[in-house]
Order: sequence, then C-alpha cells, then structure tokens
Amino acid sequence: MGALAIKNVTKNFGDTHILKGIDIEIESGQFLILVGPSGCGKSTLMNIIAGLESPSTGEVHIGGRMVNNVAPKDRDIAMVFQSYALYPTMNVRQNIAFGMETRGVPKKEQDEIIARVAKMLQMDHLLDRKPSQLSGGQRQRVAMGRALARDPILFLFDEPLSNLDAKLRVEMRTEIKQLHHRLKTTIVYVTHDQIEAMTLGDKIAVMKDGVIQQFGSPQDIYEQPANLFVASFIGSPSMNFIPCHLAEQNGALGVSLQSEGEARFIALPQAAKLVGAVGKKVILGIRPEQFDVVIDSGDSLACKVHLTEPTGPDTMVLTQLNGVEVCARLHPRDAKGPGETVRLQPDVSKAVLFDAETEARLA
Amino acid sequence: MSNPTQSAHYGFAERWLPRLVLAPSFLLTIFFVYGFIAWNGYLSFTSSRLLPNFEWAGIVQYQALFASERWWVAVKNLFIFGGLFIGGAMAVGIFLAILLDQKIRAEGALRTIYLYPMALSFIVTGTAWKWMLNPGLGLEKLMHDWGFANFTFDWLVNTDMSIYTVVIAAMWQSSGFVMALFLAGLRGIDESIIKAAQIDGASLPRIYWKIILPALRPVFFSTLMILCHIAIKSFDLVMALTGGGPGFASDVPATFMYSMAFTRGQTGLGAASATMMLMTVAAIVVPYLYSELRGNRNA
Amino acid sequence: MPKFWRGALYAALLVAALYYLLPLYVMVITSIKTMDQIRAGNLLSLPTGISFEAWGKAWSGACTGVDCSGLQPFFWNSIRMVIPAVLISTTLGALNGYVLSKWRFRGSELTFALILFGVFIPFQVVLLPMAQTLGWFGIANSIAGLVTVHVIYGLASTTLFFRNYYVSIPDELIKAARLDGAGFWRIFLRIIIPMSTPIIMVVLIWQFTQIWNDFLFGVVFSAGDSKPITVGLNNLANTSTSVKEYNVDMSAALIAALPTILVYVFAGKYFVRGLTAGAVKG
Repeated sequence: MGALAIKNVTKNFGDTHILKGIDIEIESGQFLILVGPSGCGKSTLMNIIAGLESPSTGEVHIGGRMVNNVAPKDRDIAMVFQSYALYPTMNVRQNIAFGMETRGVPKKEQDEIIARVAKMLQMDHLLDRKPSQLSGGQRQRVAMGRALARDPILFLFDEPLSNLDAKLRVEMRTEIKQLHHRLKTTIVYVTHDQIEAMTLGDKIAVMKDGVIQQFGSPQDIYEQPANLFVASFIGSPSMNFIPCHLAEQNGALGVSLQSEGEARFIALPQAAKLVGAVGKKVILGIRPEQFDVVIDSGDSLACKVHLTEPTGPDTMVLTQLNGVEVCARLHPRDAKGPGETVRLQPDVSKAVLFDAETEARLA
Repeated sequence: MSNPTQSAHYGFAERWLPRLVLAPSFLLTIFFVYGFIAWNGYLSFTSSRLLPNFEWAGIVQYQALFASERWWVAVKNLFIFGGLFIGGAMAVGIFLAILLDQKIRAEGALRTIYLYPMALSFIVTGTAWKWMLNPGLGLEKLMHDWGFANFTFDWLVNTDMSIYTVVIAAMWQSSGFVMALFLAGLRGIDESIIKAAQIDGASLPRIYWKIILPALRPVFFSTLMILCHIAIKSFDLVMALTGGGPGFASDVPATFMYSMAFTRGQTGLGAASATMMLMTVAAIVVPYLYSELRGNRNA
Repeated sequence: MPKFWRGALYAALLVAALYYLLPLYVMVITSIKTMDQIRAGNLLSLPTGISFEAWGKAWSGACTGVDCSGLQPFFWNSIRMVIPAVLISTTLGALNGYVLSKWRFRGSELTFALILFGVFIPFQVVLLPMAQTLGWFGIANSIAGLVTVHVIYGLASTTLFFRNYYVSIPDELIKAARLDGAGFWRIFLRIIIPMSTPIIMVVLIWQFTQIWNDFLFGVVFSAGDSKPITVGLNNLANTSTSVKEYNVDMSAALIAALPTILVYVFAGKYFVRGLTAGAVKG
C-alpha cells in the first residue's frame, strides 16, 4: 500500500455533508494536490488526514497503517499552515524545537536538527528572531523548517502560499518544488490556486461539493477534463464553452459555429465517441490557445474583435461565437485592434465536448 | 470554511479534560445563578418576613408590592433617573467624543481626565457630591460668596428633587465612559468613507449626522444596554448620596429591595421586588443577547 | 476649520475637563482644610494652611457609632478580600475562556450562553439565597464569604473577556501545537498563557476595580470586622452624629479611591481597553 490511502471517507455535520465518499491513493514520494473552490471540502479532508478532525465514515491509512484512532502527534506527519501558525512568543529556534522537546528528543540532537534545517532553508541568521520580526516569506520558510525538523513520512501543506504577495508566491513555489525533488518526500498540498496545482503536483484531485471531480496527472486534467467544472476550473484564461447542436453533414459528425452572420460546419475528429448524441445540445470546449489566425480557409470564421488584453508574450482577443464571448490567445503580431476583424480557425482536434445537461464530458 | 466545529480529540484526557475544566464554573453558574433565581422566585411566593420560610403563600407578596406606595415611588424614580441619566450621559458622551475626534492636541490627557470618574466607586462619587450639593456649606454657600445672595439649592433634602441629585452625580461618573465607547467607535470607521463624503462636498456636521453617527448604531445599542443596566442596578450611588431619602423620596427598586429584605424584615416582599427587577432586565437583555449570539454565529 | 471654531472647540473641551476635575479638586482641598477653614471659606476657596489632620483622623481615628478606628481596618479588609478574589476569578476565567474558544465540545456553546447571562442579572435576585447559603457554609459575615461571592459572580465577566480574546487567536496555532505533540495543559501553559499578557492585565484590573468598588455585596454579606472599605466609607460619611466633618469625609473618600485611581493612572490603557472591550462585545 502507498504512502497515503483514503478510503471512502465521508464527513457530515448534522445534515450537511462536507465530504461524500472520498477515495485517493498515492505512492511514496508523490506530490498530491487537493484543489477546488472554497467550501469544496479540501481543508476538511486535510484536517482528517492530519487527525485534527475525525471522519464520519471511512478509513485513512498513512504509510500502510490505519490511523483513524491515532492522535495527530503519532501519525508521523508534519503540517504547514496558511497562517504559518508560528508560536508568537517563541523565537524561531524555539518554534522549531517545541515539537522535538515534546517528543523528548535529546537537546544535542535537537541542536543538530535545527542547524541542518536552518542551513537547508538558509535561515541561520533568523534563528533568534521572533515571528513578528520576520517578513511573510521568512515566516513561510520557518514554518517549513518546523515541518522539516520533524522528518515525517507525510508532509501536509494547507494553502501555504496564499498569504504571500504574487512575486514571492512564485519564488516559494519553485522552492517547494526543488525541496520536494531533493528530499523525495510525500506531500499533500491544499490550494485553491489552479496554477499552483498545475505547477507543483504529480497528482491532482479536483474537488467540488465534497466530491472528487477528477483525480489524475496535471496534463490529464488539463487535456482530458472529466466534466465542465474541471475544464472551467483548470486553465487561465478559462476554457471557452460554446453551445452547439451536434449534427451530421455529408457523413461527418460536427457542429455549426456562427460569427457575424456567417456559419460554418466544423467536422469533429472525435466522431466515434459521439454517434449516439446526434441532435443533442452539446457544449464545445476550446482552450484559448487552440485558435489559429489564418488568411482564409474552409474552417475559419471571420470574427469581430471586441477587446484585446495584451499580456506581453500573447494577446488575448475577445470576440463572439454562437452568441457567447470567446477568448483566443494569439501572437501579438496576429492580434487586431477592437472593431477590426480577424479570421480564426479553431483546432478541434484537441477540443472537448460536454453534454449540455449533465455537464459530463462526451468526447 | 472554518465552521466552529468540534475537532477530533484522542484519548481520555483530551476528550474529558475540557469538560472537566469547565465543570466547576458550569455547576457554580447553575447553582448560584439559575438555582438562586429560582430560589428567590420561590421566596417571593412565600409569606417570609424576618426569616425565610418555605410555605407557599401564592401571590400575596406581589399584591403587597403593587399596593405599596413606596414601590411605585421607586419605580417612578427609576424611570426619571434612567431616562435622564441615559439621555444625559449619552448626549454628553457623544458630544465629547465628536469634539475629541477633531485631531485635538493633548487628546490623551483630556481623555484620561474625562474617564477617571469611572475608576471610582459610586460610594466615593456619592460622598463627594453629597458634600458639594449640601445645602449648608456647599454649592449654596459658594453662590452666596459669589454674590447671588438669594440662591438656594436644597435638592438633596427636597422630597421632590432629591432623585435629580443622583442623576447629576451619575452623569458625572459615566458620561466619560460613553465618550470612550463612541471614540473607539469613531476610530473604527473607515476613513475613506469620510474622504468620499468630503469630495462629495458634504459639510462636517452633515458628515457626522448623515454618515458617521448612523454607522455607529451598534455602539449606540451596546452603550444603551450598559447604561440601562447601570440604571436598573443602581444602588450604591443612591445609598451614598441620599440613602433613598428624604424619607423614601429617592428610593429606586434596588434600594427598595435592600431595605425590605435586610433592614425591615420583609423578606418575601424583597424577593418579589428582586424578581420584578430581574424580569425587567431580562426583557431588555434576552432579545439583545439572542441577536448578538445569532449574529456571531452567522459572521 | 476657521480659527474661531477651532478656539471654541478647545474652549468646550477645556470646560468639560474642568467639569470632570472640579469634584476631585474640591475633595482634595477640602481634605486638607480644617473645619474652621471650611466654615470660613467656600467649596472652591483655597485653604489658608495645609493640614493633614483630617487624613490622619479618617485613616485611624474617625468614629462610626462607638467604633473609632477610622478606615484603616476596612482598608485592610478590602485588601484581604480583593487579592484572592481577583486571582481566583481571573484564573478560572482564563481556563473557561480557553476551553470555550479552543476545545469546544457538544454543549460548550450552551454553557457559554448560560454563563454569559450571569453578566446581566441584577444581583438583588441572588442576595437572599446567598445570605442563607453562606450561613450554611459557615462563612456568613466573613472575608472568605465575600471572596466566594466575588469569585462566583465575577466568573461571567472574566470568562467573557478571556473567551473573546482567545477566539481571535488562530485555531491553526492550536492545530500546529497538537501536531507537535502538545496536549491540553501544555498548549495552555506554553502557547496560550505567554500570549495572554494584555488580556490578563485587562482582567486583573477590571476585577480589581469592580471588587474594590463593590458596595452591594459588601453591605449585605459583611458585618462588624469583615466590612470592606466602601461600606466603611459609607457608614462614616452617613453617620448622623453631631457635627459633620466634611474634611474627614473627603479624606476618607480619597483613601477609598486611591487604589483604583493609582491603577487608573499607571495602567489606564488596560482599564479603558477593559471597559470598551467589555462593552462592545456584550
């Protein structure tokens, strides 16, 4: 069995069902991301793994051991909190030592561990400071140091970067990833930030309403989203969702796209999976980068630009298809100004289709 | 996401220690607050006089209470005192708070001066004002010395006026407190709202009247609660200043209860008046507490 | 703001300051006058010579009835009453607040609501049962009895103060400490108490002021040689013997006020914080 296994875990508060049957298993050394909007139950799940809350039903296994009845301190885990949770009246050294002291680690060994951790995180010079004398980034570092000193089989990170400013967040993200590569530890990481999820995770569990919507590698989740929610939650700018009817024309299955009064039938390569759905309302999902600018071709549409948002390397162009707003990520060279017309050709080979009613993916 | 939920506790100690630690206070409260309320309630339905007895006598004490002229004087005094004291302390306190909020030099010193009476015992306040308002050598003599030969001030010994001396002293003691509460409230107001109003061209009095004071509604209500509470409980000040006199002209329910229960051997009557006081407080406090606790839960 | 209004503003503030200070001024100058000076002058007139005779008399010679030992015994009674009462009620309040904010269990919120109501009850309603109960325990009319009463009815406010303060300490800190292996007591002593200095100050001062200034419990539950200072002062000032000695009354009032005034001067910040916190939070 892997480093962490969660088996059919549920959590209810009275009639409120926070978690509705969660199953996750990861191998030793993997970086698991729990991602979802606030209120999706990811923090509750984290607390259950840590033993700070108990599940209503189901089992939690850490390192092959069933830990439902094991106190947090005996689960061989360490946790980094969103607010860092540094003990404000203790200096950094005492913060790191507190847990070891409680566990009865000899003083000499404590000093060695503190020295090692401080060196690893380059915070030797901070050891005698109080948390209030540290910057946000330094506090974050100390919180990680405190977890590292524990040397556990499982690290838990609860939104550890959300209190940092944008620049520092990117730096610390890289640092966490490097640390993971170096130490080969198993990490469970809760976030609501899909970019953090994509960049850090080996495995991502996308959660909503107490249910895991999809569990897989970042690439899987990006390219093969299980449903409309996952597709909309992962990726920025978000995937475009264009309502269409699935139709058959000249023996090919496809959808009709309209822009500026001009309609095009676009055949879909995923036809094999769609046979049963002809005539149904579907939603075509196309990521912004799956548009190309062409001079003219059979599958392209003339689109009027409403607005442009240059980001530097790319320019986001907002236009309309089938009456909904659509964003295309274009090379700045190709982007036209507002009011002008650009011919866009969707790359439907990577597009996905969702059932308009169930929101589940069709192809 | 952070519902106020119980977290998982492991082992006997962690599960039971919190309950064990809270237990003494819980039991003390149950017995000495709720038990005593019931006990006092029961006493009010007995014929207890000098010594409490536990024979049920129905509502005779309440009949006696409502037939007692002295009780109605006390109730009337409470309304006079409560109304004037609350209104007066509130007006003075809010006014001073607004003045102090104008980026005043030496604000700290002024605040300290306005608030120090709150650190005094009502007995001290009463003793001091009793001396100042005494008809012989006090205010009256001062005014005579200043040339107002016909000035008389005998409120302290005047049956009709003695309750107003209590109002004067109570306002002196508590208006600084109101000031402190409102000043804290004023400081909590988002400055950008005021700036926005200034840009809209509103005058200062208008900004206070239309924007700032309405934003202090919660402070107003909690202050009102506290002042009501001080008024209903008021006992010390009356005892020190007038002793409820002359006669029983400045009695309030609290002093009425004390004299019935502890000096005049009318235990049952005292218990009945205490129950009436409790009901009055409960009528004000329970809805307030209810909304406060609900509000906290939803926050 | 135009200069005129600015001037008016300061004038108003100054008048208000005089209004609050005047009684204190009157008390002080009256206390250092002799009775002859008092009769010769008026409320505000400065003494022609300073005399501490009234202070001495108030402290150790003034008579109430047949007893002529001044306020001194009552002052020491209050000290002996206030110290244990403050310490016990503060300790219990801290523990209650800790449990009610960080170790909630089924029923803990209800317990809090029940305790909280105790802040508001008019104490008249407990006087009669309490008098009888103290008698049964054999501590009627004793300092121990007064301490008991003050501890019990102080619990509601001390609990409320600590609970509201501890609620603002992030729960994550407790979680971190639990993962570090600390239990109920260790978290309390090593994490919570070191963070509590401001609220401990607030509660100590609040309780000290409340209990020192209390008159109701003092007058009902004490007798003879267990009376606290407020009762002593009231008896002294309201004793209806021949001539009123206002200078002695004022000295006595100042003696009774001195401890709380000192606390206010040296720790006013915490006193005000207690007043406003207690008020705004309920």
